[in-house]
Amino acid sequence: MFDSISAFRIIKTGFVNFWRNSWLSAAATMVMTITLVIFSVLFLMFAITNYSISTIKNTVDISVYFKTGLGEDQIMNIKKDFDSNSKIKEISYTSSQQAFDQFKEAHKNDPLITQSLNELTENPLPATFNVKAYQLDDYPGIAQQFQDPKYQDYISKVNFEDNRPVIERLGKILKFIVTFGIGLIIVFSLIAILVIFNTITLTIYNRKEEVEIMRLVGATNWYIRGPFLTESLLYSVFSTIIAGLLFYPVFTKVLPKVALFVNPQVTLFNQNVFNFWYLLFMMLAVSVILAVFSTLLAIRKYLKI
Amino acid sequence: MIKFEKVTKHYSKNKALDDVNLEIHHGEFISLVGLSGAGKSTLMKLIIGEEQIDGGKILIDDIDISQVRKSDLPYLRRKIGVIFQDMKLLPRRTAYENVAFAMEVCGHRKDKITDDVPKILELVGLLHKKDNFPHEMSGGEKQRVAIARALAHRPVLLLADEPTGNLDEVNANEVLDLLLKINHLGTTVILATHAADLVNRIKKRVITIENGKITMEQEKGKYKL
Repeated sequence: MFDSISAFRIIKTGFVNFWRNSWLSAAATMVMTITLVIFSVLFLMFAITNYSISTIKNTVDISVYFKTGLGEDQIMNIKKDFDSNSKIKEISYTSSQQAFDQFKEAHKNDPLITQSLNELTENPLPATFNVKAYQLDDYPGIAQQFQDPKYQDYISKVNFEDNRPVIERLGKILKFIVTFGIGLIIVFSLIAILVIFNTITLTIYNRKEEVEIMRLVGATNWYIRGPFLTESLLYSVFSTIIAGLLFYPVFTKVLPKVALFVNPQVTLFNQNVFNFWYLLFMMLAVSVILAVFSTLLAIRKYLKI
Repeated sequence: MIKFEKVTKHYSKNKALDDVNLEIHHGEFISLVGLSGAGKSTLMKLIIGEEQIDGGKILIDDIDISQVRKSDLPYLRRKIGVIFQDMKLLPRRTAYENVAFAMEVCGHRKDKITDDVPKILELVGLLHKKDNFPHEMSGGEKQRVAIARALAHRPVLLLADEPTGNLDEVNANEVLDLLLKINHLGTTVILATHAADLVNRIKKRVITIENGKITMEQEKGKYKL
């Protein structure tokens, strides 16, 4: 669309406009920065809550303990009863021997336990099922089915830690973050759009004569529009840089601690939404969309070409 | 070069131009005379595509300008220089910068600009004032800067809309002399004016417009209403 000289002149004019209206530019950049900060905070809160829920969801399961002295075929018959259950995702079976071996392996460095194990004449550990369901809400029902009287001769204990209240609470928080967050983001995006719209409109008025002359001497339409777009893109770049500087410590200092709190097995969230550069890119994308949208609106309304 | 075929233009219910037929040839100097509001400015705005016609056809070198895409209009405007009564100079730029601006916005290289602008300013007799700002110049000088700017693209056609309207007799004559010189160098000039004494001096083709209609055409004419 442009040769390099025109592109250079457009960008230069955009910078000059940005600089000449420095107070207006600062205001537009600030509002954009605030919008980005709110966006990022909500985005991170959403991602952390979401991540917590999925972490906790993964820890939910039903442990079914069998009585000792059962034959493997009897246990497998019970498993068959549940294999056809479409709500169950997985039943993993641990035989008492496997449980014993695992226990031994886990405590091999503990001479006291090793010694007492060696003194045992029979395996005290029961065979177990570890049951995972597809849906969180199906766990109580499935636990209930294992407690059916027809299994009471075989099953000694059904252990189900009901994490649902925690998950429900997190779910509510998530819903709140989403509703409240979307509302807040819309309000601030509108404010940012209005402020940028007004700033660009003022620039258009300031440069009315220049624009008229440009048109008369045959400047192309995009040559005339270009500087206004450049100016608003500068707001996005600067606001992304400022918001990025504010969030960098959050990523290096705060997030690792939060990750450790949510899931002690990890020291950092292993999802790319928690990557600083990913967030920076998102901020840039959001601010560019807002800036370009409001500038095109102002150009359409006030720049007569 | 320019051909108006039954051109009509309305502004709401007023007819600014009504069934105008006109042909202008390369190298001509046309004086377009008529009272204010007769349709002179409208006719010029139609030529540069700033206004759209409501009926008829305008051909510039056989191109129907109502068919020219909006994005291509700038390229048409580079072939046509325009000057106005109010000059439209940028107040915070010098004479040199005002002329250079026209070349910059159309993507000319810097070396071409530094080469061309002094030559154009010399042509209009203002090279010695190249570093002066518009407020440091007389009305006639400012209009000559505007002419220099209009000439920056070496247009084939120069439209002058009441260029002497704000000038005293001496300055007006200077501007007219310059327009005649430019015409002599090969550029077609259309001068819209209601300054009778200027038109009588030119002794070239005169077209009179009244209430949006061409009422008189004279070769080597005089100002008559």
